[in-house]
Amino acid sequence: MKQILARGAESVIFKVKQWGSPYVLKWRQGKSYLLHDIDSQLRKSRTSRECKMLTVSRTLGVPTPAVYSVDLDRYTILMDFIPGTQLKELAGKISKSNLISLSRGFGQLIALLHDGNVVHGDPTTSNVIVDEEARLWIVDFGLSEMNATVEMKGVDLHLIHRALETTHWDLQEIMLDAVLEGYVDILGNSAKPILSRMKEIRERGRYH
Amino acid sequence: MILYCLGIEGTAHSFGAGVVTSDGEVLSNEWDMLKPAQGGIHPREASRHHSELGPDIIREAVQKAEIDFQDIGLIAFSRGPGLGPCLRTTATIARTLALKLEVPLVDVNHCVAHIEIGCLESNFNDPVTVYVSGGNTQIIAFAGGRFRTFGETLDIAIGNMLDVLGRELGMGFPGGPIIEREAKKGGEYHTLPYSVKGMDLSYSGMLTAAKRLHLDGATIPDICYSVQETSFGMLAEIAERAIAHTKKNELLLTGGVARNNRLTEILSGVAERHEAEFHRVSPSLAGDQGAMIAWNGILQYNAGRVIKVEDSHVLPKWRTDDQDILWRSSG
Repeated sequence: MKQILARGAESVIFKVKQWGSPYVLKWRQGKSYLLHDIDSQLRKSRTSRECKMLTVSRTLGVPTPAVYSVDLDRYTILMDFIPGTQLKELAGKISKSNLISLSRGFGQLIALLHDGNVVHGDPTTSNVIVDEEARLWIVDFGLSEMNATVEMKGVDLHLIHRALETTHWDLQEIMLDAVLEGYVDILGNSAKPILSRMKEIRERGRYH
Repeated sequence: MILYCLGIEGTAHSFGAGVVTSDGEVLSNEWDMLKPAQGGIHPREASRHHSELGPDIIREAVQKAEIDFQDIGLIAFSRGPGLGPCLRTTATIARTLALKLEVPLVDVNHCVAHIEIGCLESNFNDPVTVYVSGGNTQIIAFAGGRFRTFGETLDIAIGNMLDVLGRELGMGFPGGPIIEREAKKGGEYHTLPYSVKGMDLSYSGMLTAAKRLHLDGATIPDICYSVQETSFGMLAEIAERAIAHTKKNELLLTGGVARNNRLTEILSGVAERHEAEFHRVSPSLAGDQGAMIAWNGILQYNAGRVIKVEDSHVLPKWRTDDQDILWRSSG
């Protein structure tokens, strides 16, 4: 039994029943408008990267779904199904104090990744799942990278800022403040150069 | 009564003037682009270009519209974002005209104007816009009363990347059209850095790698082919992310690089995949020109926003999402 949970830009997420339990099957679809060489190379590298980084991140203390199998010819990953709701969906429906504490938790998890020199690569609120016990899980590691530099970490924070301003424009200030507070909770003073890089990155890419 | 708006554009190397009516009819659209003999654009030279050619371009736009200066009811100008010296020259011309003709002055955001003229032409209501030019690479969509930048370049704009590469490969300015022509002759794909970060992207690594390919003896057609396929593929991916994220069903391509047929083909493939409508803004309205400023001026004026001359200082870093879009109901 396959049920489509979500259809994203680069993949389809199925909920499948196996061994008596629900799992997630993530399939990276081909894109006919892309050059075949680029398309298959991207699907392969992102599938294998996601697999690896889900595990690496867990060793850094970040809750991620466990991986059961990967198929690099079919571009699929079978992983745990996390029952919960995306932070994106919850943000407007919960109290301010709950939102602040979840956002702060999000910032702490990103900091744990950065502390291990890992960047997530697409840290939006769609990729944060809040389970029934209000625990946070991070998913979607296809753009994740290891050996991260200050620049890469700065970009990661910039992407959070970007996601908040486009998706949660009416809540962006309180959410960003809470995320960065959580980030500093973990990293302390070593957060400083990354935070200033984040601001610098925002000013690039436009006329001066 | 029909209102005639004269729009004046001059944010970078092009100066343009256009007349648009309150019914959305483009009566004229004249412009001139500074083409440096060598090297890139110097802001001071560009602003001199604007002050030297500006008055004649404006006169021509008014003549071609078959109206008199006295018929103009509104002056709109590009207040930003852009190169400071160019913006100041353009704003000075606009202020002078508004005072002389005793008509209201409207300050227009250049990026927003690109989207609105595209919507006028395509009849789109609420698109995801891919805005690609020499100075900008942005994926923009309307949300909560403003045009929000969902993704943009983290370093150089795609048009800038193509122009600099073109210069490196010995082509004239602008390099984009020549690269497109050469790419058609290519066919061997060389791997280049594919750099997508969230919905943002980066082109500086690709530029370096493409220059290296040239030094290593790859043919110019193959380099152009590989650069186009990779850089446009990256744009397609972030456009697709924005569509999937916002669930909008229109995709608009605009800006100078919208003239590229391969990019158009790739992005229409994205739209098809998401059952969205696709429109590429026609060349005369896709680049930097005055008609888009004039049309945006009308929208803004009808929504009640004019600016006093003494408040009309230019905004070189005016972000797309810094302006409340009063003429659209907030979604």
